[in-house]
Amino acid sequence: MRSLIARRELIQALVSREMKARYKGSSLGVLWSVLTPLFMAGIYAFFFRLISGRAANTSSIIVGVFAWQFTANSIQQGLGCVSNNGNLVKKVAFPRVILPISVTMAAGIDYLISLGVQLGVVGVLLWRAGDFFTLHLVALPLLFLLHAWFNLGLAMLLGSMNVYYRDTQHLVGVALSALFFMSPAMYDLSFVRTLAGDMNPWLMKLYSLNPLAGIFTAYRWAFLPGAQFPQDPWLLAGMAWPLLFTLLAGGIFRRAQRNFADFI
Amino acid sequence: MKYAIEAENLGKCYTLRGLGPQTLFGSIRRAVTRQTPQLFWAIRNADFKIPKGSTIGVVGPNGAGKSSTLGLAAGTITPTEGCIRAEGRISSLLELGAGFHPDLTGRENVYLNAALLGIPREDIRKRFDAILDFSGLHEFIDQPVKNYSSGMYVRLGFAVATEVDPDILLVDEVLAVGDISFQLKCLDRIRQFQKKGKTLMFVSHALQTVEEFCDEAFLIYKGDLVKKGPPPDVILEMIRNYSGEGGTIYAQEFGTREVEITDVKFINPRGEEAIRFDSGSSLTIQIDYEAHQEIEQPVFGYSLKTANGMYLYGTNTQIENAAERTLPKGPGQQKIRLDPLLLREGNYFLSLSIHSWDHVTQFHRREDWYPFAVRNTNDAPGMVTLPTIFEG
Repeated sequence: MRSLIARRELIQALVSREMKARYKGSSLGVLWSVLTPLFMAGIYAFFFRLISGRAANTSSIIVGVFAWQFTANSIQQGLGCVSNNGNLVKKVAFPRVILPISVTMAAGIDYLISLGVQLGVVGVLLWRAGDFFTLHLVALPLLFLLHAWFNLGLAMLLGSMNVYYRDTQHLVGVALSALFFMSPAMYDLSFVRTLAGDMNPWLMKLYSLNPLAGIFTAYRWAFLPGAQFPQDPWLLAGMAWPLLFTLLAGGIFRRAQRNFADFI
Repeated sequence: MKYAIEAENLGKCYTLRGLGPQTLFGSIRRAVTRQTPQLFWAIRNADFKIPKGSTIGVVGPNGAGKSSTLGLAAGTITPTEGCIRAEGRISSLLELGAGFHPDLTGRENVYLNAALLGIPREDIRKRFDAILDFSGLHEFIDQPVKNYSSGMYVRLGFAVATEVDPDILLVDEVLAVGDISFQLKCLDRIRQFQKKGKTLMFVSHALQTVEEFCDEAFLIYKGDLVKKGPPPDVILEMIRNYSGEGGTIYAQEFGTREVEITDVKFINPRGEEAIRFDSGSSLTIQIDYEAHQEIEQPVFGYSLKTANGMYLYGTNTQIENAAERTLPKGPGQQKIRLDPLLLREGNYFLSLSIHSWDHVTQFHRREDWYPFAVRNTNDAPGMVTLPTIFEG
């Protein structure tokens, strides 16, 4: 931990490398970190309406899809954070954990930028409906930290796994799209509740254990005046276990890093 | 503690698992079949202590384990057994420009690289002009480094890396980059480090550089630290026993062996065995051979190449009209004297050959088998000395 504080300039440099390199050469630059989720939200809103036949709540989809983008970016960048930096890992000695930390932070900064846009867009949509944000917004920083903490755990776990088993990246490609549909990103929790409730009550409990279920629902609760956060212990448990998970992932990463240079 | 780096029973083992990265399927299969993996010790049972302020050169043929040893000292790889301790701040130049991002500009990469090496941003900001001067990349510093030539790339890398003020500097074969003037600048930097009392450990194939700069040399061969000691002794050992036998890349040996070269010595004008010779003095190559049968009219020949393979000169007893003779069965000696030695500073390879008068039978030929070095005694540049007289 102390070494991390000592190397904060390195974290800063790697985060800025990540950000600069991503948008270098594109004329819209960092605007893409907002445009991508905005387009996604537009597409999902359109097709959701088309398929389900009922009016989708655009604000709700924007909140969900923007938050999903943070996790998806962290997973995708985190996956290669060690294995794509072979040269660095083999030739330069520095605390390896800086790699997943910096990709998660870069994804987090992107998300913070898009959150700013989200506030504007959702604000306008609410205002047109004669509504406004509630005080729940103050929970946002804490929520963001929990979300980032979970993403960091995923980046550390997948990043170290991918060094040893390159199959990870293919598996994750599939798992990522499964996770998208298993998380309330383009629909909200009430949609699953009605679906799952008809089948098996345990299905809903299992679903709630997905940390993203609780986190996305909490984001909606913070942003949208009408949204509820159900008093469901399973949902809360889903949001609590990432606290331990990331510590565990950190432990795995620490053990795995001994042989990083040999396997890359 | 007066040692900068201490290694005890240091070992690094790699598992050979065929080509490519490990796959999930592969490791499951190995777990089920209990196949024992093939092991490869890059370095083993190495014990050494490097006193503070000294300069150590690590030599050995390709694949001997030199870079692994340096990697262990730098902490980029973890030892399999034993341990290695370093006292003080380490900076490693295992590769120049490692961590440069192709899409970022030279300037951005300087800051990134500095952060990787642990140099505070503020220091670099202050020293930026010095780095720029050292690298000589003024016009290009705001271009993405993907457009750089490989020489520009390493120059920038070296310029940043030597701005660090480490206690220990580890250098892996990076001194031989860039053109002559940049190499001289690099060597000058190294001398400054030495003057400041820093500890240096470097891997090099440039034996001259090792002899010139180091207080002590380590010879590593096939994962063993076979010799430690004064650089000239270690280098002689390396050249005599480890460089020849397939160690150097091009070295090869063939022939029918009716006459066999048994021993070759390089003798300096004082009659001592040596591997470095002063340009302008004499070099005697003393060849001991063993004829397994009587040989009529054999031809003894030699040729010289520079370290980068350029053919310089070659001749033999036939061309030189040396007295024809018949070798009796048994041992004998042939001397070749180059006097004066007209080669100038550099590393050279000697090839030797004994063949039949009609060139049909090659009895024994050793191609690029014997390396040696030449040192200048005056300031004239170039590859060979041309006897020159100025008049007027």
